[in-house]
Amino acid sequence: MNFDAAYIYSPEQLNYKFSDEHPFNQKRLILTKDLLEKVHAIDPKHVLPARMATDEELLYIHDPDYVEAVKASSSGKFRSSYSLTYGLGTEDTPIFPNMHEAAAWLVGGTLSAVDLVFEHGYKHALNLGGGLHHGFRGKASGFCIYNDSSIAIEYMRRKYNARVLYVDTDAHHGDGVQWAFYDDPNVCTLSIHESGRFLFPGTGNVNERGDGEGYGYSFNVPLEAFTEDESFLFAYEKTFRAVADYFKPDVIITQNGADSHYYDPLTHLCGTLNLFHQIPKLAHELAHQYCEGRWIAVGGGGYDIWRVVPRAWAAIWLEMTNQSMKGKPIPSSWIDKWQKETENVLPASWLDEPTLYPKIPRKEVITQKNERTVMNTLKLIHDII
Amino acid sequence: MNIKDIMITDVIVITPEHTINEALQLMLEKKIRHLPVVNGDNDIIGIISDRDIRDASPSVFETDSSQYLHKPVKEIMVTDVMTALPYDFVEEAAYTMTEYHISCLPIEEDGKLIGIITEKDLLRTLVKLTGADLPSSRLEVEVPNITGMLSEVASLVKLHNINIQSVLVYPSKEVKKKILVFRLQGIDLRRLTKSLKEKGYSILWPNDMEMKE
Repeated sequence: MNFDAAYIYSPEQLNYKFSDEHPFNQKRLILTKDLLEKVHAIDPKHVLPARMATDEELLYIHDPDYVEAVKASSSGKFRSSYSLTYGLGTEDTPIFPNMHEAAAWLVGGTLSAVDLVFEHGYKHALNLGGGLHHGFRGKASGFCIYNDSSIAIEYMRRKYNARVLYVDTDAHHGDGVQWAFYDDPNVCTLSIHESGRFLFPGTGNVNERGDGEGYGYSFNVPLEAFTEDESFLFAYEKTFRAVADYFKPDVIITQNGADSHYYDPLTHLCGTLNLFHQIPKLAHELAHQYCEGRWIAVGGGGYDIWRVVPRAWAAIWLEMTNQSMKGKPIPSSWIDKWQKETENVLPASWLDEPTLYPKIPRKEVITQKNERTVMNTLKLIHDII
Repeated sequence: MNIKDIMITDVIVITPEHTINEALQLMLEKKIRHLPVVNGDNDIIGIISDRDIRDASPSVFETDSSQYLHKPVKEIMVTDVMTALPYDFVEEAAYTMTEYHISCLPIEEDGKLIGIITEKDLLRTLVKLTGADLPSSRLEVEVPNITGMLSEVASLVKLHNINIQSVLVYPSKEVKKKILVFRLQGIDLRRLTKSLKEKGYSILWPNDMEMKE
């Protein structure tokens, strides 16, 4: 195996842990890597370490007082006023010892991915520890403390003067990244998510198109609740192709939240594993078409950590390295190792059975509405061309 | 919420002596459909809409049909102007507009024009009241139509340390029920909805009702 892709991983990324009961669980990283190892799709020479982002790098995006508040919370100096001002110590984003360091390691992983692609001859790099797209400049939100993707994008702007296309397929709107570059015409964001009428954070409407010079560089496709693979992929392919062609990026960064799956406990979409094979496929194709292959992929949401995330995230690496598991089962060695830790029955195949969920009664209406949304999203591009 | 919180203060106006053509051009240029007519002291003395101009224009079959465009605004303006006051409630203004079939209200203070609101501003306010401009999740609960239900649900929300962004209360189809719609600052409401269910509340959203039909 000799790949032009790098897999970023460091054990320090596992320290991003709010509590045992918290839905955001980085055990996903271990489960995914172990699955790839068990099918011999990765070996140690492909795995490169993350690093801890420096304060200077965090300040590319975040406000100094916010970083200070995270550091204080990190070292036992939390104040109750932080929950209102900085979103720290809330039910979503509780504080924990050394949270600053843990969050900075996730950021550093995405920065390592960037450097490998821009300086060390790799075409693609994957940091599944990243993708914390809800982090705001001065506020933690939705499980996210520091926004690794925003920081990495700003880093690419400053260091490599690259035009960056950010594509977010997490079930939740990629609000933090969108707002960070809302007025910047050199960073284009595309987020495809469950509509804010149904799901956190509530934003991500079609009419959020950017501001000032950045007008026309922010795209959103809010999907109906209970959207299935076919309609999701229609929206994804149609918008991603159109936006890539219109923006002509130098690099693509994809956020690969795996929470659009039917099993996900926090969302209301009806994706299956097929979705998570198709998503990286198009990103890979377009990265080669427009960016000489430059593609950085990060993780994100995904709260069924046993039945969904390991298979979905492994699929990104398989796509990056042109490997296929077609016709092969999930190895019993992986199932045997982990089954005892969960009450869920671990899946035996890479794709889901068609009987995964009952028939959706409003399928037609949902499909039609999503098609309409896609046309509205792309109206701006069509008007220009 | 008061009118002064949502009104447009940078009002585009015209004087009664300007021609109808000038009024029309101004509307086209600024992409607006109403012009308050004011005198030199900024007193509201009339209003003119694109429809008033259309109504005043002669039939296309008449020759020399553009003559009317050179007449002054005061000849066709509406002088019986419906206005609102800055401290009126937003819903009063909305009521006035639907009741009188008008789509814009100049705002006056001591007879002087100080602002304007249109249907569009009211709709934008509605979107803001019911939608999200800060990260939040939607929670919809059906409760008996009796005293104290909002407070009970809200205290459960507080117990879970979740901040409330906005609340709407509206009647259910069932007369004995009401529906509470919250926008809550949290991504994961499962623990809260579990507590609500344990207390016997009927949760309309989030749910997986659709799957069980």
